[in-house]
Amino acid sequence: MISVSKLLCDLDAEGDGLRYDAADESTKRQIRDEKQRRPVVVWNVTKQCNLYCDHCYAAADTEIADGELSTAEGKALLDDLADYGAPVVLFSGGEPLVRNDLEELVAYANEVGVRPVLSTNGTLITEERARSLKDAGLKYAGVSVDGLPERNDDFRGVDGAFEGAVQGIENCLDAGLKTGLRYTITERNAADLEGVVDLLTDVGVDRFCFYHLDYGGRGTEIVDADLTPEDRRQAVKRVCDMTREYHDRGEEIETLLVGNYADAAYLVEYAREHMSDAQAQRVYEYLRVNGGDPTGERVADVDYQGNVHLTQFWQGYSLGNVRDRSFGAIWEDESNPLLRALRNREDHLTGKCADCRYAGVCRGASRLRALTVEDDLFAPDPQCYLDDAEVHGPLPFDTGGNSVAGGSSAD
Amino acid sequence: MEEFDHEVDAPRGATSREWEVFVREDTADSLTHVGSVSAPSADIAREQAASLFARTAVTLWLCPADETHRYQTADVTLGAGQTGEDATMSVDEMESETLRGENR
Ligand code: SF4
Repeated sequence: MISVSKLLCDLDAEGDGLRYDAADESTKRQIRDEKQRRPVVVWNVTKQCNLYCDHCYAAADTEIADGELSTAEGKALLDDLADYGAPVVLFSGGEPLVRNDLEELVAYANEVGVRPVLSTNGTLITEERARSLKDAGLKYAGVSVDGLPERNDDFRGVDGAFEGAVQGIENCLDAGLKTGLRYTITERNAADLEGVVDLLTDVGVDRFCFYHLDYGGRGTEIVDADLTPEDRRQAVKRVCDMTREYHDRGEEIETLLVGNYADAAYLVEYAREHMSDAQAQRVYEYLRVNGGDPTGERVADVDYQGNVHLTQFWQGYSLGNVRDRSFGAIWEDESNPLLRALRNREDHLTGKCADCRYAGVCRGASRLRALTVEDDLFAPDPQCYLDDAEVHGPLPFDTGGNSVAGGSSAD
Repeated sequence: MEEFDHEVDAPRGATSREWEVFVREDTADSLTHVGSVSAPSADIAREQAASLFARTAVTLWLCPADETHRYQTADVTLGAGQTGEDATMSVDEMESETLRGENR
């Protein structure tokens, strides 16, 4: 995740300690220490969902699927994650709220010291469930909305999904639960981005996460519906402009970009062009510590059957299963040449990524997209929208230090 | 002698058939399990696995996960005998619980 509000507007938000080594400057509580070298774990608690979204990476279904981890197994998994030192568990799906034991699992994560956060479509968050999740100790709910009402409902395959999600958000906010938006930017909904932020700030939301489409699950079928490089650049620029406009008006919204670390390179270029060289250098320093794409290192996924994946979007390949071996044993097993190569991807990247001057803040962005589109694990990310003049040349700033892998917050 | 009397029989497949993948990086190496790929057929599984491991592997074996019997000497990691618990909503319950902005 790349915090635009932090990098361009110096917004100090809880969670920044996970992304940037900025805790010294921060006055809010930070999640730090050696835990940040362990991955944030996305757990798809179920494959079942009440909606049918076009871009669903989990290929969710309305019926319960075979082999879902039971409540007891889920708790054993949380023990396992706690033992390994995973800092955060992101309950996801399918739609996690279809599990009636979600509160019990959230409370258990809290008890064993893994910070529980939630990714949901929001439409099952009744007043009662918002309260029970808050009582269970849920720390954050990210609610997906992918466009203004008509577009969102079309995307999600259910009429009233937009209103339902907003109702869910209101219920969370009323229960005192920190709540933010998840918005996956595609060709279809890019135009709605400011409108949705406008609408939701009125409801009381102040955190907005914009996701680039990754090419896994049903997403693969809509690679063609993804933004062109030029449209992507424009969309990211609009997120930057919008964030600064809100802050200029004194509305301190938090905005984040997720899923394409070419954004890191772009943000440096943006700061240089629209702000100042000094700001650009600060942005670069922060991002260098952040360390680029976290796949296979600072983010992991466990699916509803216990299969461990490199990210939540990379469901077509699994490293192993937590019913066979502990999560830590699977994650640490570098006898797997793929895991080894991904963790040293700098040595393997080809094409424009191989000599990109921003490789240190980006690391070639999504290997899954390269694999899906180019059938080559180390080809440049097809979503990179930076031009040759931007990526070639000497390092943007002489920082005189080595990159240190920072944290990742998958919520 | 260990008994290997604990079977891990939970399914591994998510969206289509799952294939356990084994590779050798050198003919002198032993075969190593390197995870699994999802694919509807052996040919597609071979393509998927090759795209991930052909860079370094000299040998590639694929076994359908549903034909692979997994046994361990000790209880499975997450505790034995706890599967089969249905913690999720029924389709009807999901339908009736879904908010559509009625009370806004
Ligand atoms: S060229 Fe590669 S490393 Fe550079 S910004 Fe683009 S995706 Fe990232």
